[in-house]
Amino acid sequence: MNTNKYPEIKPGSKFIKKVYCFIMLLIVGRAIEAAAKTDKVVKKEVEGLPNDLCFYLGVMPSGPYMVVGKTKEGGMKYLGWNLVGKKINLRMNIRNIEAAIQVFTFQESTATAFAHDRFVVEGDLPTATAIVRILDIVEVYLLPKIITKLAVQRYPKWSEMSPFRKWTGRFIIYGRALGYGLVKDIITNIL
Amino acid sequence: MLLPSFYDFCCRVKTISGNKALEKIPVLLAGMNAKKPMIVTDKGVVAVGLIDVIKKAIGTKLKIGAIFDGAPIDSDYKVVNAAAKIYRQKGCDSIIAIGGGSAMDTAKGINILVSLGGDNLLDYEGAGAVKKKLNPLIAIPTTSGTGSEMTLVAVIADPERKVKMTFVSYFVLPDIALLDPRMTKTLPPALTTSTAMDAMTHAIEAYFCKEKNPVSDSHSLYAIKMISDNLLNVVKNPGDLKGRLALANASAMAGIAFSNSMVGLVHNMGHSTGAVCHVPHGVCMSIFLPYGLEYNLHRCADVIGEILFPLAGPEVYAATRKKDRAEKVIELIRKMNQDLYDATGGRHPRCLKEIMNRDGKQAVPQSILPAIAKATMMDGARLYNPEEILEYDSLMVLEHAYEGIPLDRSKIKKGGKKVAY
Repeated sequence: MNTNKYPEIKPGSKFIKKVYCFIMLLIVGRAIEAAAKTDKVVKKEVEGLPNDLCFYLGVMPSGPYMVVGKTKEGGMKYLGWNLVGKKINLRMNIRNIEAAIQVFTFQESTATAFAHDRFVVEGDLPTATAIVRILDIVEVYLLPKIITKLAVQRYPKWSEMSPFRKWTGRFIIYGRALGYGLVKDIITNIL
Repeated sequence: MLLPSFYDFCCRVKTISGNKALEKIPVLLAGMNAKKPMIVTDKGVVAVGLIDVIKKAIGTKLKIGAIFDGAPIDSDYKVVNAAAKIYRQKGCDSIIAIGGGSAMDTAKGINILVSLGGDNLLDYEGAGAVKKKLNPLIAIPTTSGTGSEMTLVAVIADPERKVKMTFVSYFVLPDIALLDPRMTKTLPPALTTSTAMDAMTHAIEAYFCKEKNPVSDSHSLYAIKMISDNLLNVVKNPGDLKGRLALANASAMAGIAFSNSMVGLVHNMGHSTGAVCHVPHGVCMSIFLPYGLEYNLHRCADVIGEILFPLAGPEVYAATRKKDRAEKVIELIRKMNQDLYDATGGRHPRCLKEIMNRDGKQAVPQSILPAIAKATMMDGARLYNPEEILEYDSLMVLEHAYEGIPLDRSKIKKGGKKVAY
């Protein structure tokens, strides 16, 4: 039998979408680290997380990924995009690159993505719920209101987050996320 | 009927309902190549003689490998680990779960461990961590509420951390659900009301929460109708086997619905109150249900209004203006709780301060409300609620539910107009 008549179909790589998701995950990962130092609500959420937490948010089947862990000092640290050699105890995967694009282009909020079964969580679900809350706050800092309203369940009222807190926090978080540490993280991960 | 932009639905559980359904157990197990089941149940089920009913129905056609009657009120992962050892020592090859939600969840937890290996259930926590077919599991509910016989989730507590963990996978679904009215006949009135209101909550939350879909909706609507038609009759006439069977079916259908559409604020609050204060789940559900509806009214009033049809019947639905239907649903749920309170002689609590523990003391003191509100932030159900729930939102709802007064709607922080399904 000529098996060449029945060729194996290899999945397309969707390179540009993967690169977009990679950049988003890199910025969000760095921003989580920065927000844990800057925002009191994120700090409080991080306090409640397990001390040995090391989680990743990624796209199935083969990435990209963002690995973040809790530090001994009680903060968060972006640990890069490589899963090898890390004691990961919570895995949050988006089912495929198309679903990831929906989430990262803010066509679908994180909560709606959960409702549409886009996420697969392996590990402690309460911790995953807290991380979704942290992601929501980080999005409020990183994105303009018109986009963030698409990404979160409820945009914070003034009583929850004053414009002063939002703008100073935004300035500091962007500074910390995209500053010298970003270059250092990229070099560390490549080497 | 609302068609969401995306949904998935799955229910692989074979359902057998009716008198003498229990007699089919040996044939059903043989069909799954199982010969030596372990019975997983709780001491209450044994005490009222339901295991004897099962034994009589099975006769001599099947050898029971072990009877584990240690399922606690709140399923506990350490109990699961211990029961899995017994299963292995006795060489069992399947499980018959008999009881309410805790016994079912304990059985599901045991099945995960004995099928996939290991000695600690925590290794399989989360959604999608169970990736292989498990051993045969037959679920026989003795309450008409949890719907656990139809759900892909096991809720198991970690008492040290005071949290309820969820184990979610399609492989966790039981293979067969057996609904036999003999198994719920002995259920006392207060338990009948709380468990049936649990089923009502499953059906209603599945209908309006974010993962709603038309297939789940059809199950929800019929479940609401069957509970509404039969619950009060069954409480007044506990021997009404036809009504008992209707409630068992409603519970199963509500289980199918919420297993696919998930639940929101009511369960978020209920899980947290249960974890902190050890209050029975069904009691929490009946108390929080009207608050869950009120809290989300601005996001999905039209969807909630549709519930009036199965809840009150076509005449009331037609006689109520469209814009008033959602309010009418809330009013009728509160009335139902009041009717059940009267019918049970006050043993169906209407608010948190009326819940008493076995010592006759208040089970949910007012001082503990902030701790419950904090726990709600760690419960996954908050992600599926139409409106955002943060700690201060939970505390606000809890304070109203404690007193049993309607929600002050001016205190609800509104995240938008209509929810996008």
